[in-house]
Amino acid sequence: MQYWQDIPQGQSYRAGPIVLHKKDILEFAAQFDPQPFHLSSEAADESIFGGLCASGWQVCALMMRLLADTLNDNDIQALGSPGVEQLRWLKPVYADDELSADIKVSGKTEHAEYGDLLCEISVFNQDKKCVMSLSSPIMVAFNPAGGQQ
Amino acid sequence: MSEQLVFRSRWFEDIPVGEFHVFGSHTFGEKEIIDFGKRYAPQPYHTDPEAALDTRYRGLVASGWHISAIWMKLMVSYMERFATGVRDGRRNGAGVGFQNMKWIKPVRPGHTLTYTYEIIEKLDKVVRGQWGIIRSRNEAYNQYGELVFTFEIDILAELNPENRS
Repeated sequence: MQYWQDIPQGQSYRAGPIVLHKKDILEFAAQFDPQPFHLSSEAADESIFGGLCASGWQVCALMMRLLADTLNDNDIQALGSPGVEQLRWLKPVYADDELSADIKVSGKTEHAEYGDLLCEISVFNQDKKCVMSLSSPIMVAFNPAGGQQ
Repeated sequence: MSEQLVFRSRWFEDIPVGEFHVFGSHTFGEKEIIDFGKRYAPQPYHTDPEAALDTRYRGLVASGWHISAIWMKLMVSYMERFATGVRDGRRNGAGVGFQNMKWIKPVRPGHTLTYTYEIIEKLDKVVRGQWGIIRSRNEAYNQYGELVFTFEIDILAELNPENRS
């Protein structure tokens, strides 16, 4: 089990890949983002994206999945997140793209009942192009036994 | 054929800073919270009502990304009613990014959020010679009137062709 004290600044993780199929794009779009460039190839070809692409919020959700898997795989006692300082959608994500995430702990902040790990996260496609980047604090429990901070 | 109100989607130049809309409400059900959690945010406070009791949230809460996705759903629905031109997918809609997103209070099963946006800035930047950037502050309030969610998003809006260089 890993607590806030156990994770050093500079620690990094690699997660994924996750393959995003056309049916996943259409399903998410129908549920949350029914704009033409996420629903139909024809409309998307004429749009700024130049082809059917995933909702940016789906890329966020998949990033969350990669992050949650990383936290769970490393048995990190995560408590959620207060938000996102900044996020940029840099490139469209198309059907059959494979997404991976680089997660780097760039800072640590201590609060009364828990600590934050400030994470810089970059999501890459199969061509190693960064499609989305963000910075977000992740709340992590203190070691109940105390110890070095 | 019945007469329909049709608004042209607006050019960048036509969108005024200060414009404010209350654009939709959504009640979060337990099943949809769990479905979203299992697929995208597998942590006990998003997926397991029993195990969630032993977490700092003292019960099941919606993933912050679920709250964001519902913002998008309500925004698209509102825009389709407000401006039919949005349907063509060209004039509007591509997001550049956002900042200062805060998940302020837990959203629990049965909670109803009401979402608002206000145009706060038109950025002095032209993208690909054709697009301006509109910055809006978006908020969601729960049924108790508490602010639970806020962020500022930057979205492309097409420049009036008469003003393009």
